[in-house]
Amino acid sequence: MKGWSLALATLAFVFTGIALAADEDKDLDLIPGQSSHSEQVLGPASGSLFGGEGRLFVENALSFAATRNDLLVPVPAPTSPRWQEQFFGDARMEWPLGSNAHAVYSGRLNLVAEDGLGFPNRGNVTNDLREAYVSVEPHPRSYFDAGRINLKSGVALGFNPTDFFKARAVVDPLTADPSALREDRLGTVMIRGQRVGEASSLMVAYAPHLTHQVPLAPDPYRGFDPLWGRTNGTDRWLVKASAQLGDGVNPEVLAYGEKGKWQLGVNIAESMGQSTVAYLEWSGGRNVSIADQALEFARATGTIPPDAPGVFTQGSDERFRSRVAVGASYTTESKITFNLEYHYNGAGFSRADWNRWFAAGEGRPDSSAIVRTLWYIRDYAAAQQEPIQQHSIFVRADWVDAFVPKLELTGFVMADAADGSSLWQGESNYATTDLWSFGVLASGTTGGRHSNFGSLPRETRILLKVMRYF
Amino acid sequence: MLLGVVFAANAALAFAQSAQDIVAAADKIRNPQQPFRSALTLTEYVSGRERSQSGFVLFSKEDGSGHFRNLLQYVEPPRDAGKRVLLDGRSFWFFDPASQASVRISAQQRLTGQAAIGDVLTVNLAADYSATLTGTEPIDDALHQKRDCWHLELKAASEIAVYNRVEYWVEQGSFRPVKGKFYSDSGRLLKIIYYRSFVERLGAVRPAEAVIIDAVDTSLATISKLGELRFQDVPDAWFQRDYLPRLQVR
Repeated sequence: MKGWSLALATLAFVFTGIALAADEDKDLDLIPGQSSHSEQVLGPASGSLFGGEGRLFVENALSFAATRNDLLVPVPAPTSPRWQEQFFGDARMEWPLGSNAHAVYSGRLNLVAEDGLGFPNRGNVTNDLREAYVSVEPHPRSYFDAGRINLKSGVALGFNPTDFFKARAVVDPLTADPSALREDRLGTVMIRGQRVGEASSLMVAYAPHLTHQVPLAPDPYRGFDPLWGRTNGTDRWLVKASAQLGDGVNPEVLAYGEKGKWQLGVNIAESMGQSTVAYLEWSGGRNVSIADQALEFARATGTIPPDAPGVFTQGSDERFRSRVAVGASYTTESKITFNLEYHYNGAGFSRADWNRWFAAGEGRPDSSAIVRTLWYIRDYAAAQQEPIQQHSIFVRADWVDAFVPKLELTGFVMADAADGSSLWQGESNYATTDLWSFGVLASGTTGGRHSNFGSLPRETRILLKVMRYF
Repeated sequence: MLLGVVFAANAALAFAQSAQDIVAAADKIRNPQQPFRSALTLTEYVSGRERSQSGFVLFSKEDGSGHFRNLLQYVEPPRDAGKRVLLDGRSFWFFDPASQASVRISAQQRLTGQAAIGDVLTVNLAADYSATLTGTEPIDDALHQKRDCWHLELKAASEIAVYNRVEYWVEQGSFRPVKGKFYSDSGRLLKIIYYRSFVERLGAVRPAEAVIIDAVDTSLATISKLGELRFQDVPDAWFQRDYLPRLQVR
């Protein structure tokens, strides 16, 4: 009996094995035919220009915007255009200069038509010089760079307290997504040295004062002006150091100085299991409120008289203030990555500040000096890429290969945690081939008339775009 | 009776040991043991039709514990050229030259995209998984030729294992990997990989191509083709976030 059982078990194992193997062989039917490219040898990096390599593309973007007509504090002219048509060529190239040096250029040439701009004039053609610098490696992993450099710091997505060179660097953004705004911003003229060791890195950068600071005003007629006054109006320096302290633990500390004031910063990002990354970004230093910063800047650049009153601020209140972005990302098996962040800006508006802001401007005409100053403060905060509110919640979702391959859906909401108003954006991009992409973007603001985002003039915006890579 | 138990325990230990050895031997077929540079081309298919192509340059180096450290740069398609990924133990960083930003990503995030970065990076399965031998069986390889294989069951044994479970077929005698089936934490079959086009490269006969079938949407498949492969000294300093913007692949 035992012998029969063993024989039956053996037969069952053999037949099960054969059946399983037969199932396995069905997987072969899923193998596609041989690629016509499969014999190609991998060529040089795509995007080749005058012997350099990098990324080249042209894009056409057509946008329409709807504005609010019932603002409690009216917006002074000029207001943002109701429509804009922008065609641009974008390049980021590197050229070798011998065995241990290379030159970098990054820029965008724009052809623009928009509501109220007129044609033809200097505003129809503009050029944004993002980067132009030379990099030398005199010793292995010791670097010296000089020129206009986009120096980026920070591990968060929605707000980067340690990204000290972001102020006034963004020009004519096509998107409101803070994580995408870094892509089209001006660098700063600087010299930079860096040493990358086996488990640590040290970087020192100095950005000199080259010209006077230019006033905070939209400049559609900038033409080919490199806008040095935006990025090099003051002396600035930055020191960054990072070290690998253990498996995957790689904190970064920063020290930044500008106009005799310094700030410290920290970046930490850590994996929490297979699907989650938690991160913390902090900077802090002595400073005045964002409103007083704006008014100081307005006086320094001659926008308002030196003895102009502080509108609704109580005078300079310099003290130690922190800025924080803390959050986590989570990626699902279905390829959606969610980011949830809390932002704190110690120099931002409290609820009492908002009440004073509305009380100071409500019922006044848009030509009023007080109204102009109130909006100047908000424009200043936006130009600094700082949240004007103290507390924010940021949620972002990015779905790769949504429904079909190469369709990417992205959306975010930035909410003022105090009043619940929000800035939102949804975007879809579909790469029809390796060279062509089409996209649709919708953004807007929600909230009551007395709220942060609900008091902004722009209510919604739709943008259609097509991109061709080379 | 006691003797029988001891014998059975020893036999089980030897069995487990040999399964791990088989996986380790197959790893040596797939991956050179010295630091190396490789060029890879991934061609993605939808319903059997070619959809897109990506190219990578990859620098790989063992860290002494059997795990590979990887540094990768996209060279095509044009929209992705210059993007870089670092994998060093539990540390994954993604760098985009357009934004000059390095973003830390999770192990799961490296699997996004049809041809996931996780399938391109060099991995020693023996270092990340514990193997058991479930039997031997003949299966067809990618060219429909019968191969007598060890059928192995791999369970994730380290935090950096990409998949929770792997079924793995290795040809008896040659230790060539023939096929793998890769499962998620929830037990979902995610990918099927066939290894093919075995050629002599850097001192061993290695697979020059891998066919990666998306088991969730079986109309999707990717063929990974190995181009240039050469030994290259890769300094440890390359495997940290701050080196990502400095990498030159010329």
